[in-house]
Amino acid sequence: MKRYKSAKAARRRTNILVHTLLAVLAAIWVFPVLWVIMTSFRGEKGSYVSTFFPQTFTLENYTRLFTDTAVLNFPQMFMNTLIIAVCSCLLSSFYVLSASYCLSRMRFKMRKPYMNMSMVLGLFPGFMSMVAVYFILKAVGLTEGSMIRLALILCYSGGAALGFQIAKGFFDTTPYAVDEAALIDGCTRWQIFTKITLPLSKPVIVYTMLTAFIGPWVDFIFAKVICRANSDQYTVAIGLWKMLEKEYIDSWYTSFAAGAVLISIPIALLFLKLQKYYVDGMAGAVKG
Amino acid sequence: MQGKLARAAAALCAGAMLLTGCGGTENAQQTAEKVRLMVWSPSEDQSQSSGQWLQTCCERFAETHPEWDITFVYGVADEASAATAVAQDPEASADVFLYANDTLTTMTDAKALAKFGGKYADELKATNSETLLDSLTMDGYIYGVPFTTNTWYMYYDKRVFSEEDVKSLDAMLEKGVVSFPFVNSWYLPAFYFGNGCTLFGDGTQEELGADFGGENAVEVTEHLVDLAANPNFKIDQDGSGLAGLRDGSIHAIFSGSWDAAAVREILGENMGVAALPTYTLNGEEKQMYSYAGSKAIGVNTSTDYMVQAVELAMYLGSAEAQQLHYELRGVIPCNTELNEDPAIAADEVVRAQNDTFDRTSKLQPFVAQMNNCWTPVENMGKAIRNGTVTKENAAEQTGAMNDAMNSDGI
Repeated sequence: MKRYKSAKAARRRTNILVHTLLAVLAAIWVFPVLWVIMTSFRGEKGSYVSTFFPQTFTLENYTRLFTDTAVLNFPQMFMNTLIIAVCSCLLSSFYVLSASYCLSRMRFKMRKPYMNMSMVLGLFPGFMSMVAVYFILKAVGLTEGSMIRLALILCYSGGAALGFQIAKGFFDTTPYAVDEAALIDGCTRWQIFTKITLPLSKPVIVYTMLTAFIGPWVDFIFAKVICRANSDQYTVAIGLWKMLEKEYIDSWYTSFAAGAVLISIPIALLFLKLQKYYVDGMAGAVKG
Repeated sequence: MQGKLARAAAALCAGAMLLTGCGGTENAQQTAEKVRLMVWSPSEDQSQSSGQWLQTCCERFAETHPEWDITFVYGVADEASAATAVAQDPEASADVFLYANDTLTTMTDAKALAKFGGKYADELKATNSETLLDSLTMDGYIYGVPFTTNTWYMYYDKRVFSEEDVKSLDAMLEKGVVSFPFVNSWYLPAFYFGNGCTLFGDGTQEELGADFGGENAVEVTEHLVDLAANPNFKIDQDGSGLAGLRDGSIHAIFSGSWDAAAVREILGENMGVAALPTYTLNGEEKQMYSYAGSKAIGVNTSTDYMVQAVELAMYLGSAEAQQLHYELRGVIPCNTELNEDPAIAADEVVRAQNDTFDRTSKLQPFVAQMNNCWTPVENMGKAIRNGTVTKENAAEQTGAMNDAMNSDGI
């Protein structure tokens, strides 16, 4: 009896220790996020404050983003980013899923070489090709005016088919017998893809679309190189970066935090809503 | 690699031009010549809330030249980053743009910056101080039309310091709290320059290297150790100086014209502006010196309308345009005649900036070696703050800093 009791006490002790540690770690992890949110509501101006908690709270920083558009037009940047992110999300998801389906279900001569090539290419960071990409886009006349949006969409989705590995792994878990049954019933490949494989693969579709959306949503480097002096085509990332330049930082810092909160909302919502699928997508769901 | 690509792209573009043909220029000869000029400036110069300086000036320019039918295309690039964009692809960049003089070599390396010679050079020499033009001159050629100087000086609270106090840093430290960007290598060399240290001789003699070593530099380092320990001396970092001014815990900061509006908002009529003070080293008064540079209007070498572009650049840097710039945005003029205008000369910030430029500053060198000088000085500031540099190892650490400034690193 005594021994049993002490075992229980020991377990409780360990639990308390572990949970304290986790709580501390969680606090450290959430701290920067919390700080940005608090700064976005801070009433005092400037980039530096001597107190951790703001002395006054205000919504001014948010309203300023949408009303003071003369120098930094945040609403326009937001719309640009949204259009670019949504379009490249749809386009690159289509590329990824199609490529994964082909590589998972079909056998052709270039299959292995293609997979090897994509593996090797995947080892290089994308911005290595940045300057070349810029000049190619310029040669076809996509670096001026509103064509820049199209150029960015192409940039973000063009290489998507190389990132097929996870979706292919998922498709591989769907038994081939299902496809065969459909073939016998007279389905075409396209019908199998759209009517059978995709409905069975919701988790991985969600995963693909999420990653395809976040890429362009947060990208800075390609947008900066391609937008250059066309301020009406700026994305949010460039705008936020501009707010931290020495001429703007003192008056725009709190609005910068507000902007950072605003752009994280869509992603946070998507993640919260789709978390279940996200995990399933990584694991592979339909078991034979 | 980048240069090769640029040439390849230029060739591609030339090909494309041949294919599409450049029609439309022949029949326009009788009437005004059609001209298309792309102009880049910071976004404030184009925003309605600050009076659209660029558009106004460009339209006035077009009116004075009825022989040209000019279409202006505006783009946004601030002075600090315009150089990178121009050097990346001169063909697709603005014909006329604003840039900061420390980015000059970025563009001359890409052969993207046009020289101003002949009557233009004479006109520039007549309306600008020699030091100012030196900041835009390389190998004897002038590379832009200056429109403002770029340096830092001191803002202070008049309730705490008198005009006599602000001449000496030591007097100020006795009466109030002073904040200085100690860990920023654009500011820290001020003390070293004061005791006879030099960078590249007069700033252009690259072979002479950085002279931040030797006995005089060690004395400065030792003085800085004392200064950092002074409770009235605060280190300005991440905007803490301005924040301190706002809550009243700090009474003087060192910054430039970009913070003038913020300081005026905080201090109101108690705002004082002055050139750099002196500091006392071993009983002697030493003058602090800031880095000085300029902002200028540059012309792209690959422009199709060189004459018009140069004329426009000259106009944007003229006294008339500078005056408008000052009225609309508080950009401090540098035209010598304009600075004698009583209305402008009465402005404290203008006076302090010009005084600093003329008296307590050193031209910021833009030789390639200069790139090695920033990090070692910044590290020195940080090390003194953290207490790793003390009076005992000051000599050794100063020597190490000087070695690092004179080496190409890896």
